[in-house]
Amino acid sequence: MSVPEQNQSPDNQNTTSDDTTHFGYKTIDKEDKVSMVAGVFHSVAKQYDVMNDLMSFGVHRLWKRFTIDASGVRPGNKVLDLAGGTGDLTAKFSQLVGKEGNVILADINSSMLNVGRDKLRDKGLVQNIKYVQANAQYLPFEDNTFDIVTIAFGLRNVTDKDMALRSIYRVLKPGGRLLVLEFSKPEHELLNKAYDFYSFNILPKIGELVAKDGESYQYLAESIRMHPNQETLKTMMDNAGFEQTSFKNLTGGVVALHKGYKF
Amino acid sequence: MLQQALTSSLELLINKTLSLNINNVELKKLEQKTLVVVLSELGFPISVSVDNGSILVSGLTERADCTIKTSLKTLQELKAEQQLTELIKQDKLDLSGDIKVAQQFASIATNLNIDWQSELASYIGDVPTHKLMQLGKKIANKFQFAAKQIKADASEYIVHEKRLVVTRSQVEQFNQQVNQISNQVDDIATRIAKLGKRPN
Repeated sequence: MSVPEQNQSPDNQNTTSDDTTHFGYKTIDKEDKVSMVAGVFHSVAKQYDVMNDLMSFGVHRLWKRFTIDASGVRPGNKVLDLAGGTGDLTAKFSQLVGKEGNVILADINSSMLNVGRDKLRDKGLVQNIKYVQANAQYLPFEDNTFDIVTIAFGLRNVTDKDMALRSIYRVLKPGGRLLVLEFSKPEHELLNKAYDFYSFNILPKIGELVAKDGESYQYLAESIRMHPNQETLKTMMDNAGFEQTSFKNLTGGVVALHKGYKF
Repeated sequence: MLQQALTSSLELLINKTLSLNINNVELKKLEQKTLVVVLSELGFPISVSVDNGSILVSGLTERADCTIKTSLKTLQELKAEQQLTELIKQDKLDLSGDIKVAQQFASIATNLNIDWQSELASYIGDVPTHKLMQLGKKIANKFQFAAKQIKADASEYIVHEKRLVVTRSQVEQFNQQVNQISNQVDDIATRIAKLGKRPN
C-alpha cells in the first residue's frame, strides 16, 4: 500500500479546505469527523487496552511513563488528562497528586470514558478523579484552571487541532504545561519502511483478530500518517501561544512527546 | 527509556515484595513522602513515593522530601538504619532534605520479614518447594565451598608462592644470558672448526 507523504505546512495539516478535513486518507466534511471517529472508538473501547499492549508490544506503558516523568507533577497539582481514554495516565497522576490534587479524565467518547471509569474504580482510584465528556476544541473549563494538561494518542483524532491547542492554552494556568504524546514520523528511513509494513499489513489483521474490527485499525494507521510530523506540531504549538516548546522522539520517532509552557 | 523500564520493574517488584509482608504499618507514616536516590552508576534519578500504602517509582525529582546521592555499593550498606549517619560522615553519601524520610525508608527495608518458602509453596506446592530449597542449599553450599577454596588458594599464593615466582624481568634477563652463552658457544664452535681445518 502506498502511503501519502505527511503534510508539512501547519495550515493544511488538519483541514483540506474550510469545510473539509481528513479521516485517515479520506477527505470528509468537518462536521462528519467527530461522529466517524466516535464510531471507531465505540467499536474498539472494550478491547482498547489489550490492543495497545499487542500493537506496541507493551512499549506504550513506557511511553506513558516517560510522559509522567516529563510532566514534573507535584502533590496538589490539578491535571487534565485529555482524550484520556481508558485512564492509564490518570491512574498514575491520581496517585502522584495525592489527596490535595485533582485529576480530570476527559474524553469525547462516552464508551472510552465508561471503560476508563470502570477500570480506575476497580483499582480503587476514586478520591481525586473526575470524569468529563468533552471535546478538546471546546473545553468546558474556566481559564487558567490546570497545572498540567496531557493528551496521549488523541490529538490526531481531533477535527481542528489548532483550535484544540488554543483551547488547551486557555485552560492552563500561567506556568502550566501541555504534554502531547502522539505517533509521529520515524527518524530513519529503514525504520519508517518497516513501520509502514507493520501498520498497513499486520496491524489491521491483529485488529480483525482481537477487536473484530480491522477497519478501525486501518484508520489508526492512516490517521498516524496524516498527523503532523514533529516539527510541524511544534510550530502549531508555538502558533497557539505556547512557549519553550520542544519535542523528544521515542522509539526512533515512532512516537514523540511534545511539551510547551504557558507563561 | 531505560529509566522508565527500570522504574516500572522496580515498582512492580517492590509492591509485590511489600504485599507479602504483613507488617507494613510503617508505610502509612510515609504517605505522600518522596525519597529520590541518585546513584553514581546510573545517569538518572529514581524517585520513590508512597501513596495509599503502595510504592510509586518514577523519575520525578520535583516532589523530593529527601535526596540521597550515593553509589550502588553504599546503598546496600544503607539497609541498616544506623548506618546512615556513619556513611554521611565517611563522605560515601550526600543527603539533602528531611533525614527522617530516608531513615523511615531504610527502616522499611530492614524490617521486611518475608517467609519466601511458604510464599513459594502456595504457588508450586510443598514438596516441589522443599526439593527446590534443598537444591538451592546444595548449590549455595557448593558455591560457598568454591569461594572458600579460591580464597585459600589465593592467600596461599600471596603469602608463599608469590615470593618464589620468577618475575618477568628475571625471565628476560635469563633469556638474554642464554642467548649470550649460545652465541659464545657458536663462536667457539666456529673457532674449533677453523683450527681443525689448519694443515699440520
